Amino acid sequence: MKNHQPPKLANQFLEWILKADLVEEVLGDLEEKFDTQINKKSPLKAKTNYWYQVLNYLRPFAIRNNLITDLNPFFMWTHNLKLAFRNSIRDKSTFFINLIGLSTGLACTILIALWVMDEWQVDKFHEKESQLYTAMIHHGQSDGINTNDYTQGGLLDKALLADFPEVAAATQESEAIPMPFILTKEAQKVKGFGKFVRPNFFDLFSFELKAGDRKTLFQDRQSIAISEELALKLFDTKNAVGKTVEWEILTLKEKVTVTGVFKRPGANSTNQFDLLLPFQIYENLINVQWGNYNSKTYVQLHENVDVAALNARLKPYMKEKPGNEKEALFLKPYADSYLYGEYENGELAGGRIEYVRLFSMIAFFILLIACINFMNLSTAKATRKLKEVGVRKTIGADRKSLIEQYLGESIFITLLALISSLILVQLFLPQFNVLTGKTLTFPTSLPILSGLLGVSIITGILAGSYPALYLSSFSPAKVLKGSTNSSTGELWIRKILVVFQFALSVILIVAVLVVYKQIDFIQTKNLGYDKENVLTFPSEGMAANNLETFLNEIKKMPGIINASSTGYSFTEGGSWTTGLSWEGKDPEANIRFSNLGVYYDFIETLGVEMLEGRTFSKAFGTEENNLIMNETAIKVMGLTDPVGKVIDMWGGKATIIGVVKDFHFQSLHEAVSPMFFKFNPEFLLTVMARIEKGKEKEVIQNLEAFYKTNNPGYALNYTFLDTEFAVQYEAEARVSALAQYFAGLAIIISCLGLFGLVTFSAQRRQKEIGVRKVLGASTLSLVRLLSAEFTKMVLVAIFIALPISYYIAQYWLEGFAFKIALEPWFFIVAGLGALSIAWLTVGIQTMKAANLNPTQTLKAE
Amino acid sequence: MKETKLGEFEEVLLLLVGILGDDAYAFKIAEEFESQTGRAVSIGSVHSTLSRLGDKGFLKSEMGEPSATRGGRRKRVYEITAYGERTLRASRDFKMDLWSQFPGLAFRLT
Repeated sequence: MKNHQPPKLANQFLEWILKADLVEEVLGDLEEKFDTQINKKSPLKAKTNYWYQVLNYLRPFAIRNNLITDLNPFFMWTHNLKLAFRNSIRDKSTFFINLIGLSTGLACTILIALWVMDEWQVDKFHEKESQLYTAMIHHGQSDGINTNDYTQGGLLDKALLADFPEVAAATQESEAIPMPFILTKEAQKVKGFGKFVRPNFFDLFSFELKAGDRKTLFQDRQSIAISEELALKLFDTKNAVGKTVEWEILTLKEKVTVTGVFKRPGANSTNQFDLLLPFQIYENLINVQWGNYNSKTYVQLHENVDVAALNARLKPYMKEKPGNEKEALFLKPYADSYLYGEYENGELAGGRIEYVRLFSMIAFFILLIACINFMNLSTAKATRKLKEVGVRKTIGADRKSLIEQYLGESIFITLLALISSLILVQLFLPQFNVLTGKTLTFPTSLPILSGLLGVSIITGILAGSYPALYLSSFSPAKVLKGSTNSSTGELWIRKILVVFQFALSVILIVAVLVVYKQIDFIQTKNLGYDKENVLTFPSEGMAANNLETFLNEIKKMPGIINASSTGYSFTEGGSWTTGLSWEGKDPEANIRFSNLGVYYDFIETLGVEMLEGRTFSKAFGTEENNLIMNETAIKVMGLTDPVGKVIDMWGGKATIIGVVKDFHFQSLHEAVSPMFFKFNPEFLLTVMARIEKGKEKEVIQNLEAFYKTNNPGYALNYTFLDTEFAVQYEAEARVSALAQYFAGLAIIISCLGLFGLVTFSAQRRQKEIGVRKVLGASTLSLVRLLSAEFTKMVLVAIFIALPISYYIAQYWLEGFAFKIALEPWFFIVAGLGALSIAWLTVGIQTMKAANLNPTQTLKAE
Repeated sequence: MKETKLGEFEEVLLLLVGILGDDAYAFKIAEEFESQTGRAVSIGSVHSTLSRLGDKGFLKSEMGEPSATRGGRRKRVYEITAYGERTLRASRDFKMDLWSQFPGLAFRLT
């Protein structure tokens, strides 16, 4: 027979209502009853009877004494709610100040929380995410350790799989190829960014394959996987498996069959691609050897592998391989790279996580400022509630119920604020998305909404706790007698809170100024070349096949001053090498030289200044073995009179024919490093043309026409160098914009609170003002009198905030190799700004109070 | 009028406690009540009356040994006090006295 148990809920109910000393015997009796019932009747009947027996214990003798008083709050809550509602109607200005403050505070918090959650989600969607790791290498160099994820293509994945039993699977992909592939089907050409991947790419990563078999995707070199978008563009159908298409990039071309169609990686993936090609093609292109770093390696570990122990064994692993004496291998959780991407001398140095932290802090502070408003206003208005508290306490309310009442009131307001903040979020989400460059959506999932509810209730409790504790502490006798002097302690707390609010605002103003000036500095800094009016576009078709004719043709166009070509997008930097040696080189030194492959006229087109020697020119015959170095390179190499020196490079000889003045070819986060230009007509990706100012439109029209006749099938995809340049500082520009908005909000909310306080104090001192006016005080002296108190507070806030903001600004600027000096006027402006905003707020209100006709304020008593 | 201090239900319960002896606890008493009278009763109402009788001093009670059938819980076993027994007898005697005065029936009883 099935073992039936009495209904649990009934027992819980019984335990809740019964006196503690009765529980045991009653439960025992009822269980015996249940057992006899279950033997005679159906389980349902037995259970019903059990409930009947339980309910029959609802008798005075059995119910615990405090049950009735415990039930009381249910009725009290409706009462409290009604009171909260009436109070807000009675005091509309305070109510709206609180509502506006709290709802904008909450809205900021929600927006920032959405952003932060989205940041945390990046790259976490892969099913095997917890087991996926990126192979990273610390490169030991003379100027410190450089850490990145470029590994040995064609070698490292196989070696890891063979040598480490912890590794369950390993895959590789080519480095990101900075120019698009061109796919051709008959006369139709479509562009897409792509990479070369191992056949097991889809086994490790959960990118969605819509058509095709992931086991046989890249079985031979004549295969390609494309995104749904590309499939639609090329074949008008998403099911393109089996169709043929030709891809080309630079001088490479191949006719292939589509073996798979995938869903384009979404915004939550850092790995982005429109098409994938078999890795074996890439392996044939690169030099497969241990000294070459050109691919990314990812491994999937078995479950429950001790990664720290594995990393300890990986550390010396590379040193056995040729050409890797100073490299140390380690594995990093795949999804960590997005937020924790920066290394400084081999140590993790943060990354985007710093912005995540920064904005979380800002959200918290804005909410805090709004809470402080609430606290200040409710304690300030406490005098009005004193009688109420006194009467309540006399009638018999205990402190607990009073605390409940005032907390209830603040939770009531925060819940209203939550509703209006959700409306605000809904309204401002599109703009916020533009600012952050994300595609966030309004939160609709239950956990998020309940989380928000939780946050607002906590906010309500936080905001209401101080007033609740403070108000409930009054002794009724004193209050009703009329001795309503607020204690100095309470005044102090209110003052401290105002000071705190304004200190935060000042810090935010300084931060905004510094960020803004730094961004401005970067964008207008003399880079050592002229980034204005330079048009760049990919080298393809005729430009790839016959560059010389192409450049000559476009140079003839009106408006184009000069044109050349380079191996890399200028702002994205390029490749680097350590394979240079020269007379007098320290054999231990491991110096990294950036190198840019360029064509004739490149230095002239970009406007880089020559210090010595000459530039690449057709007049001097073959230039392939000639280099032009920058100042820093010459300095690091310790060469005097460098022009004409012959050095060893990549197993051959190269001659230095010129030296250029240092210019910023990398991001301004980094100092100028040693670099050289190499004449390299074989591997040029981008055409750059310097055009006359104001003739942009004309030049572009001409180029498009030129493309139509001479470069059929290709569309002109141009950008301006200065726009590309701005993209590098996108993160900072976004932070700057966001910081401006949030700082503005923080200041507005602080001022709202100040406004409320001033209004209140002016009201309280109405009679005093009246008497003073009657006795002959001028409006101005009254305004001064009323605002003196607040001015003092704001001044103290400024005094506290300035050193803190100086420290924070200094810290942020350290991330830039080229930065502005922290000038005193930033702080003066921030201080005066806060002070004048505060004065304005206080001034309007005090003027109003001071201008009241004293007969009005004095006649009523 | 003489005060009996006992209601009908109370009186029956007192008697049942006496009948059941060591087995006199709320559940058993309720069962016994049902089988003797044929009237349904809830354990709660029995318990409530028992505790009232205890307050009046007719019953005393103590916790018994835990038993497996009750999920290892102990039971409260009731016992009639001397006062309770006296009151019961007084109640019976009082009723007998009344019956004896009942016309046409008195002789049958004697």
